[in-house]
Amino acid sequence: MIPRRLNISFVLGLLLLAFGHSVAASEGQRCAIDDVGKELCIVAPAQRVIALSPGATELMFAAGAGHKVVAVVSYSDYPPAALELPSVGSHTRVDMEALMALQPDLVVTWVTGNPPAQIELLQELGIPNFAIEPRTFDGVSNVIERLSTLTGTEAAGFAEAERFRLGIAALTERYRDVDPIPVFYQVWEKPLMTVNNEHLIGKVLKLCGAKNVFGGMSRLIPRISAEVVLQANPYAILTGSVDGQTNQELEDWKDYSGLTAVEKDNLLFVPASLISRPTPRLLEATQIICEKLEAARARL
Amino acid sequence: MTRSLLGLGALALASMALALALGSVNVAPADLWQVIQGEGSTLHRTLLLDLRLPRTLAAFGTGGLLAVAGALMQVLLRNPLADPYVLGLSGGGAVGALLAMLAGMGTLIISGSAFGGAMLATVLVFGLAHGTGSWTPSRLLLTGVVVAAGWGAVITLMLAITPSYKLPGMLYWLMGDVSYARSPWPAVVVLVVSVVLIMPLARNLNVLARGPMQAAALGVAVRPLEWTIYVVASLLTATAVTTAGSIGFVGLIVPHMLRLILGNDQRIILPASALAGGTLLVLADTLARTMIAPEQLPVGVITALLGVPTFLYLLHRSR
Repeated sequence: MIPRRLNISFVLGLLLLAFGHSVAASEGQRCAIDDVGKELCIVAPAQRVIALSPGATELMFAAGAGHKVVAVVSYSDYPPAALELPSVGSHTRVDMEALMALQPDLVVTWVTGNPPAQIELLQELGIPNFAIEPRTFDGVSNVIERLSTLTGTEAAGFAEAERFRLGIAALTERYRDVDPIPVFYQVWEKPLMTVNNEHLIGKVLKLCGAKNVFGGMSRLIPRISAEVVLQANPYAILTGSVDGQTNQELEDWKDYSGLTAVEKDNLLFVPASLISRPTPRLLEATQIICEKLEAARARL
Repeated sequence: MTRSLLGLGALALASMALALALGSVNVAPADLWQVIQGEGSTLHRTLLLDLRLPRTLAAFGTGGLLAVAGALMQVLLRNPLADPYVLGLSGGGAVGALLAMLAGMGTLIISGSAFGGAMLATVLVFGLAHGTGSWTPSRLLLTGVVVAAGWGAVITLMLAITPSYKLPGMLYWLMGDVSYARSPWPAVVVLVVSVVLIMPLARNLNVLARGPMQAAALGVAVRPLEWTIYVVASLLTATAVTTAGSIGFVGLIVPHMLRLILGNDQRIILPASALAGGTLLVLADTLARTMIAPEQLPVGVITALLGVPTFLYLLHRSR
């Protein structure tokens, strides 16, 4: 008896769903495909959004929907307005209770950053969720467009996306014909880590006319030895630093006076906050890196 | 003696009530009562029934499983330092889970893989310890510890070659975390069924604890009993590891604590371990998710912070 009743309610539910669906469609729902290929359709523009990564928060503000963000996760420090927002924990451990209590109508998740179990729980609880993780320049601009579509802030979002796209296009044009110089990008000192060409930072290097000496490695963020760096003999070594000026992390390379990068004083820094997230600030980072590499090229 | 069990049972219920009532979001007692009566707002129902209840049950089940497995291992190996993980079960489970995470699998496959790894570890240690020579608890212990070291090396290797974005998930799994438990039922059902099934053996376990010679002299079939304990303890541990990763400390400390208070009678210790282990983990998990909310702490940190002073106090007092 019970299963049959369940079946009937299930069918009724499906009918309701289908009916509701057609009504919504006629009112024009907002649909977007996220970065894991899942389509999300919502009936009305999202009004209460929770961003589960610092990058997602930045992109929401870039999409002109910063005022719709009701909560963020720790380290969401940009734009400054994000610092005022309540937190629902960290991106690796979300406080699901705090999240549910804020009754979000959209949660922007991070494909590889959030625990899969918690994303599944969101799905089960029926919270619309949208997973993002831009890995290209185009990815950054169109994720801004997609987020603005879901929040109904297309005017601002598409304009910002276009600004980013044009900025990158201008830099691409400007550095198209420069002589590529071999460059090593140091992600971390101990253990020594770098990026390959698939990484967004790798793409920035390429755009600026640098040849990433470890670009061909198979892993996105390979761990390497100092030996292979010495063997590759980069003409410049680049790393992110908190203030963009000084960094102890490149000091050790000065022991190797035979390195061209050391000999020519080409140990370069870029503000870590600009380069660490796939957001519109990447344009600024790209500009800085291109200029520094241009100066480095002149010193050779 | 049944009075102490009833007391522990009441404590367990109280801890679960506390876990349901407390969270990073304040739910007023009146609203709690409404949800209990099957009413209340959608939000309160979600908080209590979809988030807190399954998590509390999972914590209780996992804590109980670990404590009972620990009590059994300590009898089997006649070694006070034995815990559910001493024979490398958590290592095998971790390797299984981490492999699945490395391959980008879903949570269900990660759980299955963890269980498979733990069972593989069990069979491996069983087979190696059995070997050709005679079987002794010290041989089992040594085999287990060495195999565990092997798993440890494999885990370190995997962490070293894993893409950095996958590391947080893996580290949290290794630390143990009840928030990853998707369903509490395997842990709770395995706990209840195994305690009920093992209770008739408790009297024989008491004899075995005094040594295999005495046990044999008193008519206990030592070998089959030892293998039964080994298999049951392994199954309990594998289920716990599958539910919430490798949560340390509970399995080692809870049985000892209870022995200090209740004496070493397995008829009492086994059910008491289930209740006290569950209670400890429920309390620890409640603190872990509320102490610095919305930030969430790994539950293993809290079990140790709660358990260490309690245990030291009991040990000190018992002299």
